[in-house]
Amino acid sequence: MTSRIFKSCVLAIALFLMAPVSINAQQMPMQALVGQSLSKLQQDKPETILNCIAELKRIETMFPDSVQPKYLMALQSLNYAVTNPHAPQADNLLSDAAKTIDQMEQMAGADLSDVCTLRGFLYMVRIVQDPAQNGQRYYIDVMNNYEKALKLNPDNALAQQLQQKFREGMQSAMSKQ
Amino acid sequence: MLMLLVAIGATSQTTISGIVTDGREPLVSANVYIIGTIDGCLTDSLGHFSFQTTKTDELTLRATFIGYEDYTQSLTQTSGLTIRMREKATAIDEVVVTASTYSFGKSDNFKTMDALDVVMAGNSCGDIVAALQTLPGTQMVGESGKLYVRGGESDECQTFVNGMHVLVPYTTNTANNASRGRFSPFLFKGINFSLGGYGGEYGQALSSVLPMETTDVATDDKWGVSASLLDWNIGGTKAYDRSSLSFNANYTSLALFNALFPDRYDWTRPYRKLSGEAQYKADLSAASVLKTYVGYDLTSVGQQIDNLSLSLVEHNIYANTTLKTNLGRGYTLFTGIANSSVVENIHDAQVPGDHYHNFRNEVHLKAEVRKVFSPVVKMSAGAEDYIRHSTLTYEDSHYRLDYHLLAAHLDAQVRLLPHLFLNTSARLENASYDGQWLLMPRATLSYVPNKHFQLSAMLGQYSQTAEDEYIVRSGKHLSQSTANHAILSLQYSTSKTLLRIEPYYKKYHHLPLLADGTCTADGYGTSRGIDVFLENHSLIRNLTTTLSYSFNDSERLYLDYTSPRTPDYASRHNLRLTAKYAIGKVIIGLAESYASGRHYPQGTTPYYNSIDANITYLAHPKVIVYASLNNIFGRTNVFGYKTDGSNITGSRDRFFYIGIFVSLKNNKAYDISNF
Repeated sequence: MTSRIFKSCVLAIALFLMAPVSINAQQMPMQALVGQSLSKLQQDKPETILNCIAELKRIETMFPDSVQPKYLMALQSLNYAVTNPHAPQADNLLSDAAKTIDQMEQMAGADLSDVCTLRGFLYMVRIVQDPAQNGQRYYIDVMNNYEKALKLNPDNALAQQLQQKFREGMQSAMSKQ
Repeated sequence: MLMLLVAIGATSQTTISGIVTDGREPLVSANVYIIGTIDGCLTDSLGHFSFQTTKTDELTLRATFIGYEDYTQSLTQTSGLTIRMREKATAIDEVVVTASTYSFGKSDNFKTMDALDVVMAGNSCGDIVAALQTLPGTQMVGESGKLYVRGGESDECQTFVNGMHVLVPYTTNTANNASRGRFSPFLFKGINFSLGGYGGEYGQALSSVLPMETTDVATDDKWGVSASLLDWNIGGTKAYDRSSLSFNANYTSLALFNALFPDRYDWTRPYRKLSGEAQYKADLSAASVLKTYVGYDLTSVGQQIDNLSLSLVEHNIYANTTLKTNLGRGYTLFTGIANSSVVENIHDAQVPGDHYHNFRNEVHLKAEVRKVFSPVVKMSAGAEDYIRHSTLTYEDSHYRLDYHLLAAHLDAQVRLLPHLFLNTSARLENASYDGQWLLMPRATLSYVPNKHFQLSAMLGQYSQTAEDEYIVRSGKHLSQSTANHAILSLQYSTSKTLLRIEPYYKKYHHLPLLADGTCTADGYGTSRGIDVFLENHSLIRNLTTTLSYSFNDSERLYLDYTSPRTPDYASRHNLRLTAKYAIGKVIIGLAESYASGRHYPQGTTPYYNSIDANITYLAHPKVIVYASLNNIFGRTNVFGYKTDGSNITGSRDRFFYIGIFVSLKNNKAYDISNF
């Protein structure tokens, strides 16, 4: 579960699948700002991701009623934490992501399928951080959230890919035991 | 192009720079920016920041950092800025006061344990109640198997499923044979065991409450079976778009086990239990969740005791339905209804040829509104009604009892200071059989300076009606028993270690007291002690160890006691040590239990001691095998003395259990499909 390949795959999937979200943005100024911020992610260095999350936070402050910056901010935070699970910023980013997901859940415009995907991803990152302690505790939550996300929207590509990666990671982890 | 270059060149840029600290140290990766723009940066490893902005009019700087209050400042200078951020006070909705409560399930607070942990705990054999007996504050009462908390009787601990009361949460058995909890651990996503000091929502419990929350709507179909030498089980779930339907059937029989491992008792009919359960859960909307549960147990057992050929048959049915709705604006409405019905028939109960029949019924109605008003205040208010009926027939005597217990409560949680929280509540109760009103105030003051440390002081008054038989014998004039709790709780936790120390004092009033064939409320008592719990995950990788120690000094005058004395279920010292170690697909558990002697008029029993071992083998993602051996060294523990002075012991010294759980359809590994 903690292999570099697993984490890189998850990051690549999340980055790839983020693009349609930004294209569908409703507010042009926000869209432009988000696009500008995400364009910096071409170089996937940890500092770049952190700066992108910080910029998204600023955009989120400018557009507090929009779901998109919140979604992207949570997703980027989880991306960072899954690839850098023991970085000093990881715990703070996860706490912030958890609060953002809770806020999204209360918003009328939020897609519940996306919310479930993010929540599943959040539990998945916690397992990556400490597989021995959190594996048993959160494993079912990861699966349930991805399943619920796909039930609500069978075409949710991010949920499909993350679910697939999680299953592969689980199989790999179990076969090593 | 030329015009564009001119425009860019004409845009003036201002450099903003400075440092962000918390007053003592620089803050790394704080987000500093100009409000209304995305111009900003993160602070470096020394807390420094420097960025340019094209904004020229009024500049307002903001700095954010998780765990700290947002900092906002109108800029009059642009360089050499010093930003001092203040730590954020915990919002009332975020603080979890853990004092006197042990939480199991998916929570980040205190001890976390899921259903599999319950199954694998020491000598629990899948019994929630037995697993909870690894915690401090509980007493080892081997011949009962029920929960005895901090010097209180077993019926002073009350069980709630999804907030609704369960009249009889245990399976039945003949005297001196341990009962088990009647609910499977796989039903629940969260278990909160409170050993005292609980809020106004819970009543009719003098010592402790055990609220349990069933799992949410299932997302996929599953079904599975389990089997052991004692019980056979089949169950499954059908998932729909926004709802799920689960069922479970269980048959328990000690016939095979008794044949393989004979015990001391003379069974005329082996212990047998047939159970059926069903659950329907639905997300009615994004804001409403409906949960229903119904369970039925039929228990039958026969035992030859001297010249008595005792035969016991019990029917126990419990059903509840709850609806939780988010009304918006921070309001949540909870409503629920529950029904418990228990019929017990015993032949040869006390003398040859006699017959005992008892029927008890309780309907519990409850409604509650909860509201988070601000990060500083949270409140809830509710009302409930317990409608009780019972009849008892034994030879020539017969009674019928009907009464209501009306109750209302108001709870408020207030953040007094950034790290100081007050939880205060009042509960008002009226028992219809004597018309008396009781107003019970309760309060908890907690100091929570950080996520590692908690210090709480709790005071509260609690009440409970006596057993139906005593109410009848009093001529329906028996006041409710009351208990005053005073508890101090200190908790220190890190990611690998947890330490909790809780001294407590309880004073009982109006306990039922029998004299001259009648019952009065003249009994009283005290219970004081200290509980210590230590859990560690850091000694060796994959090793979890726990230490639970309880000291209890209790004394009471109640029932047929002629003078105040230590109740015979209470032992002064209780110690429990456990270790759980995972090696690949094997998990090994060891437990040592010790309790000092119990006091009877005939004398004090020898100390109790048992060393237990268990092993879990994750044979396949869909197959789990579990085995345990309790009391490895076969010590004959004496639980008490009969009136003739002979020892009360268990039916057997050692107990061996082996079970297999198989998921026949489930896309998740190591997820028990039946419950």
